Amino acid sequence: MSQNFDVVVIGAGPGGYVSAIRAAQLGLKTAVIEREFLGGVCLNVGCIPSKALISATHFLHKAEHDSATMGINIKDISVDMKKLVSWKQSVCDKMSGGVNQLLKANGVTVLMGDAEFKNSKELSFKSKADNTTQTEVITAKNFVIATGSRPIEIPGFKFDEKDILSSTGALALDQIPKSLVVIGGGYIGLEITGILSKLGTQVTVVEATPAVLNGVVDPECAQIVSRKLTKQGVKILTNAKAKSQKKSGTEFEITIEASGKEQTLKAEKVLVTVGRKPNSDQMNLKAAGLQLDERGFIKVDAQRRTNVSHIFAIGDICGQPMLAHKASYEGVLVAEVLSGMNRVYDVKSVPAVVFTDPEISSAGMTEIEAKAQGFNDLLISKFPFAANGRAVSMMETDGFVKMIADAKTHILLGVHIVGPEASNLISEAILAVEMGARLEDLALTIHPHPTLGETMMEAAEATLGHAIHVIQKPLRSVKNGKDVTH
Amino acid sequence: MANGMATNVKLPELGEGVTEGELVKWLVKPGDSVKPDQTVAEVMTDKATVEVPSPVNGTVKDLKFKVGDVIKVESVMLTLEGAISSIETAASATMPIKTQTTSTPATTSMSAPLAASASYYPPVADSKTLATPSTRRLAREAGVDINQVPGTGPAGRVTRDDVMAGSAVNSATSSGGLEIIPSGAYKTPGIPRPGYQGPVGATEERVAIRGIRKKIAENMQMSKHIIPHFTLMDEANVTELVTLRESLKEYAEQAKTKITYLPFAIKALIATCNEFSMFNASIDDAAQEIVYKKYFNIGFAADTPNGLVVPVIKNADQKTILELSYEILDLAKRARDGKLKPDEMKGATITITNIGSVGGTYATPIINHPEVAILGMYKIQDRLVLGTNKEISTQKTMNFTITGDHRLIDGAVAAHFLKSFIRKIENPGRLMMEMK
Repeated sequence: MSQNFDVVVIGAGPGGYVSAIRAAQLGLKTAVIEREFLGGVCLNVGCIPSKALISATHFLHKAEHDSATMGINIKDISVDMKKLVSWKQSVCDKMSGGVNQLLKANGVTVLMGDAEFKNSKELSFKSKADNTTQTEVITAKNFVIATGSRPIEIPGFKFDEKDILSSTGALALDQIPKSLVVIGGGYIGLEITGILSKLGTQVTVVEATPAVLNGVVDPECAQIVSRKLTKQGVKILTNAKAKSQKKSGTEFEITIEASGKEQTLKAEKVLVTVGRKPNSDQMNLKAAGLQLDERGFIKVDAQRRTNVSHIFAIGDICGQPMLAHKASYEGVLVAEVLSGMNRVYDVKSVPAVVFTDPEISSAGMTEIEAKAQGFNDLLISKFPFAANGRAVSMMETDGFVKMIADAKTHILLGVHIVGPEASNLISEAILAVEMGARLEDLALTIHPHPTLGETMMEAAEATLGHAIHVIQKPLRSVKNGKDVTH
Repeated sequence: MANGMATNVKLPELGEGVTEGELVKWLVKPGDSVKPDQTVAEVMTDKATVEVPSPVNGTVKDLKFKVGDVIKVESVMLTLEGAISSIETAASATMPIKTQTTSTPATTSMSAPLAASASYYPPVADSKTLATPSTRRLAREAGVDINQVPGTGPAGRVTRDDVMAGSAVNSATSSGGLEIIPSGAYKTPGIPRPGYQGPVGATEERVAIRGIRKKIAENMQMSKHIIPHFTLMDEANVTELVTLRESLKEYAEQAKTKITYLPFAIKALIATCNEFSMFNASIDDAAQEIVYKKYFNIGFAADTPNGLVVPVIKNADQKTILELSYEILDLAKRARDGKLKPDEMKGATITITNIGSVGGTYATPIINHPEVAILGMYKIQDRLVLGTNKEISTQKTMNFTITGDHRLIDGAVAAHFLKSFIRKIENPGRLMMEMK
């Protein structure tokens, strides 16, 4: 048995399913192969379930801490973890089901099962649906590899997803652990830390570098989150390395080395979030003749074409940043290239969002990146949410909007937000960056009152030196690469 | 370049936020041959001990670090000789591949294309070119490298119009299905092309700009954009010329033609250009040179049902007035019928516009680029004039204008030119003396 297509997309995550839909829209005979669940990590064990839990625990936290101040007395708040998990699952199922409908409605053939390359032109495919051991050959004019990434494991901490968890296991917990050690204070680790600490888990974060979210977001933004976590009762150990673990009774004893000294932490469960690695060791990519780079990413050009000209790779498997929205952009791009359009990966910036409390988001360059790109004269300023009426009325005033602009042209180079709804606010910023907007463009656009969005306008004003609702000049400017503090 | 080249094996990215690792153990030594994915070293990071694989096969040439050294991510750890990548060619393995070197999600850097010849223009993400995403796409579809397009928008932004201007220059590669002016139109970037919306409910009709109208629009806009125009006006006593032409009517009938004032104006114009060579010239902007022409191809503006057409009389200086008359009648008729050949509308060195037959005392014509001047002639009127002894007489008057390219022709020069021209047109006898 064999099937032939114009395009076969392998992996139905946010890169793959999007690519398949666009390819089908463009009239190509398209199939998508998925071994686990439609929507991939994102919809099933990543972005979406974590956001469901974050929304729920944020709600809980507000009820516990803010409602009384607002005059609402809620008694006997309790968490039904089983119900929470099943609600979370219903969210995932709804989204994944939606993907299935979209694929079908667009005429994409959905093949559930495992595939690997026999050679650059053929896949051998083992269907899961048929409960068969037989394989079939699938051929296509073009292949799009969108098989993503998985959590990195560290020696001595093998995932069992029961007690030693990756993000996948942590998002599937149906009981609230009493205590948890999180190894790796990156964005995934901190998002889960936020969920569990709000549910009552005593969380200790072990971060190897001097700060959490190091190198991931603007350091000032990270600081706000770190401070709030500490206030919430989370213990954060920086410059600390996890060395080993052993189980004693119902608890783990985790040996860490912090600032040269060994110490032991006790916890019911351990979460390891030290990063993700591409799934390029799967699917027998060598048989197709694909080249990988030294980190295991499939090498691609600006059209996401691999060294084998009819095979493309998108999403986490072809390089950083490993973000769903980057994968989706690449999915559309590749489908259009396949139908003969002249397209390349051409974005000024990939926005990033971190769903900590408060949220962090960024678009464009950090100060360091701007200097590295040769912008020697910069204007940098911040506008605090504490000066925004909507934020005050929401009782969420932690954080700020920070802007970095070229001092000569006032062109906006970067926006870094930490604060309420930072994830939603960043879309205006990324549009501005892509459009090449200047600070004046943001400042002269009427932003509706009273909204969190006003902080964007005010931050632009502040960076120009004349914000209305804050008494300050531009905090800093950089001249000839040197700081000039006002 | 497959064999004999050294391949650098770098310390790969080791996880979120990890920038360096300590070398624990080398698993290979110089002279060893390694296979792709073979572990060559163990590196301990802040978070884990990591096995570093070789991406290709080859012979170990050089170990760059010793046990205990702290190695930064992306540093070259060892070099391999005779490396052949695990796949067909080693070209890419030895090529410095610029991948995403930063773990900061907010930045993106592009991988270098693997293919030697890219079928697309480079992305602007890494350049300082300012353009909106849709403009970048437009440029790519039009086959324009947006990084090379001079931007006319705020802060040097490349606008949609800039791209369209660039694509017109580049039209050889323009692809179909795009609303881009396909000909050599609007070569100069920066001509704004605003839309128009009439009042709501107004009775208006929209017609596409096509054919001659489009050509006229393009040529006129380009000419007005490039040439700083000025026009000088004066009147001539053409009593003698009128008398001469009247006296030739019978002769013309016998010759089966009609002699108009135009061939006389052509002859006077050529004679004057011989005195003022800068009127029969062009400017080569690209070379920054003035081109003086030693031949006279005279264009004359003809009104046709489709619009303005300018037929050209080649080598008019070598033709008699009778010959010019034949040619003018023939060209004008065929212009009205739309039957001129393309080369009969090309190559003019200077143009005359004669709207006197319709009416109008003066106009400010537009020069037919790349020419640098245009002569206008207007209707003949009977006038009462005061003579030198204050006596009143009648005379036939005709107005003339000379419009010049001020980059080349100064006002005073144009005044002298027009004065000389009028002296000739007022004295046909004298004109004949000076005709070649």
